[in-house]
Amino acid sequence: MEAGLIAIGAAIAVGLAALGTGLAQSRIGAAAAGILGERPELLGPVILLIAIPETIIILGFATAAMILLLSGGG
Amino acid sequence: MKRPMTCIEIIGLKSHLHQTVALLQQVGCVHIESINAFSDVTVRPLAIDASILRRQEELSLLIAELEGELSLLGGATQHVLPPSAIDERDIRSGLATLSPQIVALTTQREALKAEQESLPRYEATLLKLLPSLPQTAYQEEKSVIGLLISRSHLEALEVIQQEVTQLTDGGTEFVERNVDDTTRALLMIVPTDCTPRIELLLGKKDVTRLRLPQQIEKGSLDATLTALQARMRELPQKMAAIDQQMVHLGGLWRERLTIWCHYLHDQFDAYAVLTNFGETEHTFVVMGWVPRGGCEALKTQLQQVLGNQLVISEKPITAETQALVPVALHNPAIVQPFESLVKIQSIPRSDGIDPTTLMALFMPIFFGMMLGDIAYGLILLGLTLWLLRRVGSGTLRDVLKVLAIGSVWSIAFGFLFGELFGTLGEAIGLHPILFDRADGDHIMSLMMLTLAIGAGHLSLGLLLGLIEAIKAKSRSHIMERGGMLIGLMGVFLMVAVLVELLPTGFMTPGMAVLILGIVILSTSMGWIGILMGTIEFMGVISNLLSYLRIAAIGLASVFLAKVANDLGGIAGNIIVGFVIAALFHALNIALGAFSPTIQSLRLHYVEFFPKFYQGGGRLYTPFRSRFTSTA
Repeated sequence: MEAGLIAIGAAIAVGLAALGTGLAQSRIGAAAAGILGERPELLGPVILLIAIPETIIILGFATAAMILLLSGGG
Repeated sequence: MKRPMTCIEIIGLKSHLHQTVALLQQVGCVHIESINAFSDVTVRPLAIDASILRRQEELSLLIAELEGELSLLGGATQHVLPPSAIDERDIRSGLATLSPQIVALTTQREALKAEQESLPRYEATLLKLLPSLPQTAYQEEKSVIGLLISRSHLEALEVIQQEVTQLTDGGTEFVERNVDDTTRALLMIVPTDCTPRIELLLGKKDVTRLRLPQQIEKGSLDATLTALQARMRELPQKMAAIDQQMVHLGGLWRERLTIWCHYLHDQFDAYAVLTNFGETEHTFVVMGWVPRGGCEALKTQLQQVLGNQLVISEKPITAETQALVPVALHNPAIVQPFESLVKIQSIPRSDGIDPTTLMALFMPIFFGMMLGDIAYGLILLGLTLWLLRRVGSGTLRDVLKVLAIGSVWSIAFGFLFGELFGTLGEAIGLHPILFDRADGDHIMSLMMLTLAIGAGHLSLGLLLGLIEAIKAKSRSHIMERGGMLIGLMGVFLMVAVLVELLPTGFMTPGMAVLILGIVILSTSMGWIGILMGTIEFMGVISNLLSYLRIAAIGLASVFLAKVANDLGGIAGNIIVGFVIAALFHALNIALGAFSPTIQSLRLHYVEFFPKFYQGGGRLYTPFRSRFTSTA
């Protein structure tokens, strides 16, 4: 039972972070597609902008890993 | 690395202006700068007279015409040698001969293509209608009239049927069929003598007639369908014949057109560059940049033709002109592909660090660490080498080279992690040299390893940033980057105590160093630093945690490989199992080529570069002939 709850906790940590990243990237991505249509030379800054929200999911991953490893669920 | 540049000034008599421009274009090593950019050069900009502007307009029109013909002929001629002499009259007469032929062929091809797209729709309609056509339709005294109506306006069909019935005193048969999801066809078999009156009626109604192309309309619908199908079979051959003629024309003209195009571009550039020149009453002045050591060589080449009629001198680079210095990247062959990736972000500044070498060192390691599989690395290496033989030049070729280097590192990390198609290596006796990533007991080790690599990468970035700040004598940047670096050292000490690498006695000094770092960082920002200093330092910690993506992507890759192997194993049939596993592994390799590349790029662009890299430079683009740059 406890192991299951730990796993659910880890899944929530990584799942919600993934949703956050997805939401942010979808908006930035849509704007980026528009920018690149007009000014393809801005590919570098655009990759940078799209990549920024990925930190959220990495933090989610770190949290999930901590929950699993430090709570003995792993 | 960047090639050092020298600022040069060329002064000559106006009577030698065009000859000098032609020579500079031929030598092709001077990046010509606008005279207005140098405030200490007091000459006025060269006045461009109307005849030059008219000539430029003529040339641009001719170039547009040539480029238009070249794009229609297709294909490309990469390397052309400069011709001995070109007469512009030859270009015009050549175009007068070629253009009508190209126009005729492209018009024919477009007409055939339009026919090829429309005929299947007619065929589908006829095939739907023919089986329901009554025998009376084939009688001499009967004619068939077809209508197409949108299915959302079917009421119009009833009205037309009523009116046609009245006109023909009930002598009309109607056949209706849906042609597609939106259209309904109505065929009316009417007495031939009533046709003009019905045509008149339909002319007043806003309906679409089912009219077939004249060349295939052969009286009866059956004959028309046969003619239509014959025409559909004939069209690809006719189009292929036209393509063949275009290829033949291309073979005859492409190289000539490319040479003419280069020649005219050179002429155009030779006029366009004059806007950067300066003048006095009798002389012209050119300011520009050459790679260091190139000035003497340039002098020798120009003086061979013009003797001592030109004065070429080196000018010192001042604080004002430093920002103008163009950047010529000069790296070893193995590092060169990474230049494209740096340029995507921005061109390095002339007085800043060129991060290409650092990127060439770290990016393939990050890539290899994420993919980390012997088999995947070998497959990807084979694929990239095969593609490299087919891709000529450009950014795509550079990316392929980067992937090839990354694949080699992937093979190396594959041995370290003991991975061959994920967990399959274990089955054939392959043991990890470092540790097994897929083993739950080692996930923490993997995360610590990636964080340690991230710590080293970030510290190097901050150290380089600090050196840059010291060179620029920027107090705020020295404090900002120094503070971050000291703070990070404090964090490292504390983490080392937590993971029992250092005795607990180091915890307090660690905290003290961290606080000192944050205080220095905050001080660099003034009053607002009280709040922003801590937030900025949290940003550095976030940068550090971002390196966990190396572990995350790596774990995703190894677990997808494990899923592929497990699914293949439970299939029960060796062939089905092999196919399932192969499909999953193929997907994993495709993801493995894409995702680690993007993530490694991101770690450089977002985490590493901002610590020291200042882009915004201008590329060294020497004024040179198109023949020089393609030869």
